[in-house]
Amino acid sequence: MSRPSVALFVTCLVDAMRPAIGFASLKVLEEAGFDVIVPPGQTCCGQPALNSGDHDGAVAIARATIACLEPYDRIVVPSGSCGGTIGVHYPELFADDPAWLARAEALAAKTHELLSFLDAQGWRPDGVALPTTATYHDSCSGLRELGIKRQPRALLSAVGELKQLPLKGAETCCGFGGTFCVKYPAISNAVVEEKAQAIEDSGAALLLAGDLGCLMNMAGKLHRRGSSVRAFHTVEILAGMGDGPAIGEAS
Amino acid sequence: MSFGQRVDLALADKVLKVAVERTAGTAEAKRALAVEAFPAFEDARTRAAAIKDHVIAHLGHYLEMFEANAIAAGAQVHWAQTADEAATIVVDLCRKAGAKSVARSKSMLGEEIGLPHALAEAGIERVETDLAEHIIQLAGERPSHIVWPAMHKTREQVSALFRAKHRDPHVEETIAAMAESARRHLRAEMLGADVGISGANFLIADTGSICTVTNEGNAELSVVPPRVHIVTAGIEKIVPSLPHAIHMLRMLARSATGAALTQYTTFYTGPKREGDRDGPEEMHIVLVDNGRSAMAADAALKEMLRCIRCGACMNHCVVFRQVGGHAYGGTYPGPMGAVLTPALDGLSANRDLAHACTMNGRCQEVCPVKIPLPTLLRGWREKSWREGLEPVSMRQGLGLWRQAVLRPRLYRMASGATVRAMRLLARQGWIARLPFAGAWTKYRDMPAPEGGTFMAQYAKGRRR
Amino acid sequence: MTARDAILGKLRAPVPLDLAAQAAALVAGSERPPETAGSPVERFAARLAGPSVSATLDRIDDASGLPDAVRRYLAHHALPATLYLPPDSRLTSLDWRGFRIDEAVAADQMTALAVAKAGVAESGSLVFETDASAPMLPNFLTLHHIVVLATADLVETIEDISVDLAEHRAHYWVTGVSGTTDIEGQYVRGAHGPRYLHVVMVG
Repeated sequence: MSRPSVALFVTCLVDAMRPAIGFASLKVLEEAGFDVIVPPGQTCCGQPALNSGDHDGAVAIARATIACLEPYDRIVVPSGSCGGTIGVHYPELFADDPAWLARAEALAAKTHELLSFLDAQGWRPDGVALPTTATYHDSCSGLRELGIKRQPRALLSAVGELKQLPLKGAETCCGFGGTFCVKYPAISNAVVEEKAQAIEDSGAALLLAGDLGCLMNMAGKLHRRGSSVRAFHTVEILAGMGDGPAIGEAS
Repeated sequence: MSFGQRVDLALADKVLKVAVERTAGTAEAKRALAVEAFPAFEDARTRAAAIKDHVIAHLGHYLEMFEANAIAAGAQVHWAQTADEAATIVVDLCRKAGAKSVARSKSMLGEEIGLPHALAEAGIERVETDLAEHIIQLAGERPSHIVWPAMHKTREQVSALFRAKHRDPHVEETIAAMAESARRHLRAEMLGADVGISGANFLIADTGSICTVTNEGNAELSVVPPRVHIVTAGIEKIVPSLPHAIHMLRMLARSATGAALTQYTTFYTGPKREGDRDGPEEMHIVLVDNGRSAMAADAALKEMLRCIRCGACMNHCVVFRQVGGHAYGGTYPGPMGAVLTPALDGLSANRDLAHACTMNGRCQEVCPVKIPLPTLLRGWREKSWREGLEPVSMRQGLGLWRQAVLRPRLYRMASGATVRAMRLLARQGWIARLPFAGAWTKYRDMPAPEGGTFMAQYAKGRRR
Repeated sequence: MTARDAILGKLRAPVPLDLAAQAAALVAGSERPPETAGSPVERFAARLAGPSVSATLDRIDDASGLPDAVRRYLAHHALPATLYLPPDSRLTSLDWRGFRIDEAVAADQMTALAVAKAGVAESGSLVFETDASAPMLPNFLTLHHIVVLATADLVETIEDISVDLAEHRAHYWVTGVSGTTDIEGQYVRGAHGPRYLHVVMVG
């Protein structure tokens, strides 16, 4: 009997910067009972164009991504931000184009952020233990566009010996904001300084989140400050890869 | 001064950061408690948005209804298409009243139409009666927040100002003593004014009433004693009837300060009646368009007319909390200001504002009328792009990137090459200085790519 | 073309026949904060005592006890027995011997009395309207604001206030004292008007 399948949209940032997140996603999705397909034509969801005001560019990229992903039964994305782009903003882009709107809505309906998808399957990590402390930052798009808050914490609570510590201002933006962080670097820096301080104040050894962009921002700030806090994408911990190199640690 | 320069000034001002944090932080905490005590708040937000949308869809009808009822109650209604027209109407009314001095109760619309400046030009003395506006007036500055205009000032700065300008200043170095100093100073000036000018938080269509809310009671002290009361109000302030206003009032105070209601909520319907012991002989209501009718017809901006000026969006904005209100450069700061200012003052001079947002969505989440502020800001970004206002480097960079994104094979080559190049710059996993991304590495390190893109490794058969 | 015509011209839209019904439907069943425990009087009293209203409350059986209640309040605050009374026969008919009664409000009025039309349990608000017996200014000038409220005039929610805005020049709700948070967000009482609010419930 064949297993249900999912297509993994790995995201451009994971593809280039931290493939481990993609491989961790493969592993946990297979554990959750799925055959995982990696659609070969995938690149980027187009969020940089969307948030820069390049509507036509965003539409062109959205069309390409829809065509690439729509053949699959369900699509999983290890990012609330890219998941939100496909799930929330693609249909907005085609508000005046009924044919593409229908395709965008169909794709949106079967596209899921990875952690909330795993939680909805009832899957929990089995036999994964990590004797340390971790704090969780709620990335904004996942939190507010997709309602991801409880799910990652529930999944992490099944990791043996991992103690979750609260983060003050966990729902406050880290100051990344995609192109914002290079358009207004000084503001972005002031925001992420406060975030880094809160992370250090949490007393946790690990910083976890569900979006690589935010993680790179926070980890990069923590490293510049000389902090010992290490950062991982949540799925790496769930896949039992929490004993490997953290973001920015040479492999 | 450009937005970027104003931001640099603001970030360098550590006192400003402390001042903003004290007030906005308090407001944020108090709002959270108020919302927690009101479990149906989410549904109430939906209803508030629906009320405003209903009004905006039938704005002309309700304005005519309001006008007829206000006139029936004895008020005089004036209409102004632009800020200048509105200011001229007010100044002319003051002149006609023979006014030497006017008592003014804070209204953001008054700031929007440049009333302080217009009154000064006309040689009419202006007594700002809201404590924060009084501070701003003494300092010769502009408001930095729509609810707390003097949010950027610390107690030490206010103290020095009052000592220099008040006739009988405070002795004790406490905030209470400073407020008392202002009370002594302002009372006589307020009561001697010839004209009282207020804004309106709501215009009630079915009775022609105007509603003001204050915590200080300064609006009442400003507009009850003088012979003439002038109201300036944006045309979007209208609600059909009192029950609608009541719903909005429940949302407004909780969102602004966390209170159930402001201390003083007053509805005025026309001037003094026969037999009344106090109140003005004349009441004038100036209905101001200044771009609002155009916004009502613009799908990308219409929802902004829902705004009830509570300030929650700025109190919860990570950018506002870092740079304060003056950096935004317009009458209205924060997320709502970043949407409104380009509509009021033009996009080309204000395109920066639309980008001064991380799109984190917190403002929309706390907005009592559910204005999709990030979406409206994105709308300005799109307009700016369409009109060619975005920098050439940005357009070209994104254009090249788009070409690659749309060609997966080219994209794989480019991303592979980028990964290899970045790894050459790394030391022990981190990049401290990155060409073309100096804005990132100026403040934080960049984790080096792990090596080999996911797609390349997967194609080679790696699965774990 | 006048500014009025220009503005309205841009806002023309068909007006559905049932617009009034649509508008009414929008506020049918408006959400409210949940009622806390206790009778309306208890809830009103709790609201008055809360930090945002911060009023004091006295209760008397009937109006003839009002002068004594006022005397108690003034003595407690070591205030002179001087009082502004509005020209309201419900007040002026009482026995104010021993008081100096101001018939006009002074710019530095220390104490003023007023009769509230209603009280609201939901918010702790006191409701007033202007008319020949009820001027408005004294209630904003005085430092000590003493308000008389008949217990029978207490209502549950803001919507329960019986009001036709067209009937009076001003209709207003007092939900606390004149306060400000304009300097560093710190709350100060008595910004311009009353620093103290004292409610005397009758009956």
